[in-house]
Amino acid sequence: MSAVMGLEIHVHLLTESKLLCGCSTDNEGRAPNENTCPICMGFPGSKPRLNRRALEHGVKIAKALNCRVLPEVRFSRKGYFYPDMPKNFQITQYEVPLGEGGHLLLEGRRIGITRVHIEEDPAKLVHIGGDITSAKYTLIDHNRSGIPLAEIVTAPEITSPKEARLFLNKLSLILEHLGAFDPCGEGSIRIDANISLEGGQRVEVKNITGFRSVEDALNYEIIRQRSMANMGIAVERETRHYDAETNTTSTLRKKEQEEDYGYIVEPDLVVIDVTDDWIKELEDEMPELPDARIQRFVEQYGLPPLQSGIIVNAGLDMSEFYEECCRLPGDPKEVARWVVTFLMKSLNYEGLSLRDSKVNPETFVELLELMDEGTISERLAKELIKEYVSTGLSPRKLVEERDLGLMPLDEIRAVVESVIENNPKAVDDFRDGEPKVVDFILGQVLRRIRARGRPTKIMEQIVEKLKSASVAQ
Amino acid sequence: MTEEWVIDRRLLEHLAQVSRLKLTDDELDKFTEQLQVILQAFREIEEIDTEGVEPSFHPIDVRNVLREDAVKAWKWDPLENSRHVEGRYLKGPRIT
Amino acid sequence: MTDPFLRAKELDEKYRFLNAVAQDTTSTGAGRLQGYSVSVKDCICTKGIETKAGSRILEGYVPPFDATVVSRCRSEGAVILGKTTQDEFGFGTFNVNTPYNVPLNPHDLERTCGGSSGGAACLTAVADFPHLALAESTGGSISCPASFCGVVGVTPTYGRVSRWGLIDYANSLDKIGCMAKTVGEVALLLSVIGGPDEYDSTVLDVPEEDFADLEISVEGVKMGVPEEYFAEGVDDGVKDSIWVALKVLEGEGADLSEVSLPHTGVALSAYYIIAMAEASTNLAKLCGLRYGLQPEEGGNFDEYFSRVRAEGFSEEAKRRIILGTFTRMAGYRDAYYLKALKVRTRVIEDFKRAFEEVDVLAAPTMPVVAPRFNEIAEMEPIQQYMMDVLTVAPNLAGVPMISIPCGEVDGMPAGLHIMADHLEETKMLGVARAWEVLR
Repeated sequence: MSAVMGLEIHVHLLTESKLLCGCSTDNEGRAPNENTCPICMGFPGSKPRLNRRALEHGVKIAKALNCRVLPEVRFSRKGYFYPDMPKNFQITQYEVPLGEGGHLLLEGRRIGITRVHIEEDPAKLVHIGGDITSAKYTLIDHNRSGIPLAEIVTAPEITSPKEARLFLNKLSLILEHLGAFDPCGEGSIRIDANISLEGGQRVEVKNITGFRSVEDALNYEIIRQRSMANMGIAVERETRHYDAETNTTSTLRKKEQEEDYGYIVEPDLVVIDVTDDWIKELEDEMPELPDARIQRFVEQYGLPPLQSGIIVNAGLDMSEFYEECCRLPGDPKEVARWVVTFLMKSLNYEGLSLRDSKVNPETFVELLELMDEGTISERLAKELIKEYVSTGLSPRKLVEERDLGLMPLDEIRAVVESVIENNPKAVDDFRDGEPKVVDFILGQVLRRIRARGRPTKIMEQIVEKLKSASVAQ
Repeated sequence: MTEEWVIDRRLLEHLAQVSRLKLTDDELDKFTEQLQVILQAFREIEEIDTEGVEPSFHPIDVRNVLREDAVKAWKWDPLENSRHVEGRYLKGPRIT
Repeated sequence: MTDPFLRAKELDEKYRFLNAVAQDTTSTGAGRLQGYSVSVKDCICTKGIETKAGSRILEGYVPPFDATVVSRCRSEGAVILGKTTQDEFGFGTFNVNTPYNVPLNPHDLERTCGGSSGGAACLTAVADFPHLALAESTGGSISCPASFCGVVGVTPTYGRVSRWGLIDYANSLDKIGCMAKTVGEVALLLSVIGGPDEYDSTVLDVPEEDFADLEISVEGVKMGVPEEYFAEGVDDGVKDSIWVALKVLEGEGADLSEVSLPHTGVALSAYYIIAMAEASTNLAKLCGLRYGLQPEEGGNFDEYFSRVRAEGFSEEAKRRIILGTFTRMAGYRDAYYLKALKVRTRVIEDFKRAFEEVDVLAAPTMPVVAPRFNEIAEMEPIQQYMMDVLTVAPNLAGVPMISIPCGEVDGMPAGLHIMADHLEETKMLGVARAWEVLR
């Protein structure tokens, strides 16, 4: 049974002040309702004032998603009653969006973008004494009311839950490049996912946070709807809520309960002309987008496309980090290899993001320099990097302090001899042609010298010694 | 076309629910009648030729009023007029 | 020197125009309004003074900020007197739609003061101390009571005066204006309150204008008389009073001509549809949270909101909320809300066309003089709405207008309505001043 999926994404736009008033958007560490004014709290007599930067972000997003930008910007009132709505209507764009008819390229396929528009965020609710369905009462915090959001609606052209996740990753990256949003901000992106099976009724799962959760929720829905179909139960059109803890969805609202929003044009705001000149100005301001960057890394640094893709897709931080490393002396291809193969792996292993780690370009390239110079082996570098990502301590200093530089060859030779002496059976095995014996000795030696030697060189010495030992006996 | 100009009691109940107004039976009866009369009077706008006419959302054309993105904090106590509060939160009814 | 606060309270005992009195009786001292008390219609926010817009649902609400117009008055040395009563949120033509004071017409206590700014007109008529009134008009709420009470009321061009701090009835129709006993005084107040304000995005980008230095201007002024405004529904006595005035003005050099505003009749329906649609969204925020009426908790939010709103809103408010919600619902929106907005364009075109030929328009303000309360009690809602037939069209078009006392019928004042094109307040004030001098 084929499934057809679409996404509605709400993104917190990066601005200093809210969409319709001068309150700050920085709610970090604020007491509830501290970041408010009569406008964002919907006090009688207050009137909205449109934030220019929010609009500019919206236009850039529309352009980055290949939309046609509409020449006139109007706002609407979307009416519905809810405790998180200071005015019991939301100022949004209904009649005419900011941009329409665009697309996002995902692995060679175009996913249609139906519309892009901006709107205000409602307040934050805390349900007391239960969850949303069982709470005794609600606490309301209007710090979030009025934060500018961009709403991006896809066409129902996503064909699998995994594709939904990949789409979101790419969209998030594009928005991050635009400087329109901060992926690390709490709740900075929320997703509603729509799915219908085999042309059946459409189910919407609302307010999912986390791209993995979107994939999970859609997978759950497919299973749920398929089993209903198998039992001959019709899937109703409804709105559902996803619970990340149990990884299930549950009914929020049935079709009959769907709101009629009664849209009117927002009469306290005036129409804004989006001229071609203004669009051109904004386009010129737009930074390099992910696809363009991937291509440029291939051309400028000679990287294979796949590798370039990995670096860029890891986030704006990562690709900028990479480029800064390339500005220092060294081989960009080597840098890329180390970033992709070891840095990213170590960060993952330590559970750190690049931003949270202590990694910086100057100290990172020291690792490569140390290997180039022959001071340490690649194997040691792989060990060091694990420690490095959490401490950020200069590898060069570390090597010096702990005396981790490569052992001189004659010292290694002494260790090799010592190990072989302690393992007389190895000599016999070698004579008998046992293939793994060299590796075994190598392992022992490396352990003893704490990897301060190059395996190939050590193996040469081992073989030489084993040969001479086996002959001697 | 004619149905658009009719409000019956069922529609009225729906409208009351949508606008969160708890109406008594008397009010529902009374309003059904009154609103029906009013709607019939409003019908006259059907007759007016508005072919190719743009709607006027404002009586005078005002355009392009934007605010620069800068923080201006409002010094006030947002909860001063609120009766139902808990700490610095507003206290509101449960969802379901 | 009369203490305006004591005097106002005294007069209020008899005429019932106040909803709240200011505690702070001080003024900043100097300015264009020095020596004046300014009363403020209840729907205009006054910091520290209870502001209810005539409704129970805002009972106890004390705004944390002044409306722009109020702070401008304060900074020009006025003393803010208090809040004048009104129809709840502006919903009415007779100031009877309110659980608070219903003001009594000073010319006959059994008659209405008009509405919705009834309290403002009433106080203006009886104040025997320097007093100016801030009022508000959506469909005629300044002109009507000014006409019924025999005072001067000016409604400026839409966007001339900031609406920041005005509790909305209909945002594309609301205008804050002035009442006083003389044209000079309304012009003075208008000069103080008008002008750009960054807190209201719909304010016109025109510089502040000083109207106080009025020229009496009637010689050579082209005055259009719209035929639709003298039609059947208008009382003969009222028509006569107006014609007398027009003849006098003609005698002084005014150039009278007949014009037609063909969409006058249908403007009423278009007005109500747009106004109610906007109002129903404006009133959604009043639900028992954050301010105003906040009864005991209980039930989920649907139940709580529905209960509070049923308790806090009067019958007329409920009717308008329901109708307003209806006209913007999916399936009805095109036939009502959007159609009405297109009819509005036609109404505006009527005025624009007329003002190509004439400088001002002159007509009766209201089709009748102030009705009796017992007559009003017999009226169906639709009949009450129809009383606005002469004021809704210019309000819909956002043109400035002034009502000035003009004769009497059965001892009750009638009003002469002078209208001008957008931003042409000066022309209209000049003619009004001329009539004031001549009458």
